[in-house]
Amino acid sequence: MPETLKFHFTPVDGPRADTSNVHAKASTEVMETVDALRARFGATIRDVQVYAGEHTVFVERLHILEVCKHLKEDLGFQYLVDLGGVDRFTEDERFEVFYNLVNIANSKRIRLKVRVEESDAHVPSVTSLFPAANWNERECYDMLGVCFDDHPDLRRMYLPEDFEHFPQRKEFPLLGIPGSLPLPPQTPEGELTTDPFAAAHGNKPVKSYEEPPSDTYTSGR
Amino acid sequence: MATATDIMEPFGEDYFSFWPRHNAAVKNRLESKDVWLDEVRGRKREHTPDALEHEMTLNMGPQHPATHGVLRCVVKLDGERIVKCVLDIGYLHRGIEKLAESKTYQEFMPYTDRMDYLAPYSNNVAWCLAVEKLANIEVPERAQWIRMIMCELARISSHLLWLGAGLMDAGAVSVFLWSFQGREDLYNIFDELAGARFTVSHSRIGGVASDLSPRALELIRDFTSRYPAIIEGWRKLLNRNRIWVDRNKGIGVVSAEEAIALGLTGPNLRGSGVAYDIRRFEPYLKYEEVDFTIPLRTEGDCLARYHVRMEEMLESLKIIEQCLERLPEGQIRADDAKQAYPSKDEVYYSMEGMIHDFMYTETGVTPPRGATAYHAIESPKGELGFYLESDGTGNPHRVRINAPSFTNLQGLESMMEGHPVADAVILISSADPVMGEADK
Repeated sequence: MPETLKFHFTPVDGPRADTSNVHAKASTEVMETVDALRARFGATIRDVQVYAGEHTVFVERLHILEVCKHLKEDLGFQYLVDLGGVDRFTEDERFEVFYNLVNIANSKRIRLKVRVEESDAHVPSVTSLFPAANWNERECYDMLGVCFDDHPDLRRMYLPEDFEHFPQRKEFPLLGIPGSLPLPPQTPEGELTTDPFAAAHGNKPVKSYEEPPSDTYTSGR
Repeated sequence: MATATDIMEPFGEDYFSFWPRHNAAVKNRLESKDVWLDEVRGRKREHTPDALEHEMTLNMGPQHPATHGVLRCVVKLDGERIVKCVLDIGYLHRGIEKLAESKTYQEFMPYTDRMDYLAPYSNNVAWCLAVEKLANIEVPERAQWIRMIMCELARISSHLLWLGAGLMDAGAVSVFLWSFQGREDLYNIFDELAGARFTVSHSRIGGVASDLSPRALELIRDFTSRYPAIIEGWRKLLNRNRIWVDRNKGIGVVSAEEAIALGLTGPNLRGSGVAYDIRRFEPYLKYEEVDFTIPLRTEGDCLARYHVRMEEMLESLKIIEQCLERLPEGQIRADDAKQAYPSKDEVYYSMEGMIHDFMYTETGVTPPRGATAYHAIESPKGELGFYLESDGTGNPHRVRINAPSFTNLQGLESMMEGHPVADAVILISSADPVMGEADK
């Protein structure tokens, strides 16, 4: 192939191990915990990334409960601060769930991550260990459609059950899908509306008065 | 006209004309739920004989004046006692996590004002710090001190509303009027500094928008000199007030272990005796350098939370006084056009300044691809954290908001079970949720 026909990708920055971050906290220096996890779980810990002094431990999906149990009972990470999902869209293993755990006694914070395929978006629920994960997992299910197995109450968090889409997926349009959400009538006797943003979607709003024809001032001179 | 059967059975057929599946799911949850606190404490509730012998399902909210916003509580009552409670939130859901993905980092700032709208400045600062951590931007000293002063004023402003509204829920209206006078004074300070009273949007990535004027400093000094005595006066009125103490003592008791398990945060967690305050846990801004104590109570009831918040206000005033003493001279924004907005002098009088201003508005900061960062601050309601992921462009790839009101509401659901309906109102105001934040 001649040199001129070769296609060159624009190089992009990979994640940098950035220990010089001015905002890095002492609480996120958890090398010992990461080593302990590696020693105990071996290949179950797929990868460890560091950015801004924060360690992110990637765990095999089916072992997340074991790892959380070990962290909670043996290493003192009893406080689940945050849990949420990420949509990586075009990547393999599209969805990512992260767990933000805190050890209050030793002032340490660690982040675990689990990756799942879109075709099999199921993650074991950690509500049996951390009751606080209940609503966070519901929110993740509501927004991204990641199912949490053995969750006691996997309903939608914010949107009504009648809604059938997962709005935080990247392919969901920012303006919403017309007609996807039935809403209460705007007057007591009125009908259900399905689209409060009809005007934005191209339908003309109903006016209670007749507008003058638009050419009154332009062509009638 | 509501008939008797409607009142007894609000989940009967055709009661709700919309969202039938949603309301059926709420009902199912209420029926099938186990009371978690009872399970943990290994207790069995005895059914006390009551004038109303039947169980009743009651739908409180979302439009109820005492629910502090659009919070819907569906409760199962045995007589007057709440047996089970299911909270249904999302009536103020605007999807700001989704909206953030189509904004630049600076553009998202006004949305944070509208999360916890009782303390907008805290949210601005939390957002800025998270972005600054993600993009490794250093903030000038003076800006950090200004941010600290304003964050603490925001904390007082939020706690003043909690105090006024909480007491009004308990039946005392006068404190509401007094505490709103305090909020008025605070609004004047925000107005003087930022030009907006309510949604300030004053913090900027890499610093703050404008410097404290002499008039603003004068107003802050006036506030910090007057208010310790005023707050002490309120405490004198309330600490030993028979009605207030009786309504709060022993209500909604949560032990330290339960509070951690439920994920409570902020004053609700510290009221249960867990010393977890981000200002100490992982100090941000200049909190390492000032002298203050973290109020802590071990009772875990509503009265403990009341004491924690009242003492926090006094501590905040102490912090502000130290900040005013130590406020250094200097820049208020990072002097790097890739990291922060240039000053207006540069924008108006130099070509480069204008280009930089334009570029910053158009693209803004671009953290490296694959960068992730979580930064939390101690907002008045608790740990407010932003988890950010970057894809190398000017728009965040994922913004995750760890909202304290959301986690506190989850705990509230368990706290309400076992208490009379009359205490539900006290409990809601004691948990101090803001729906703008909980619903995102």
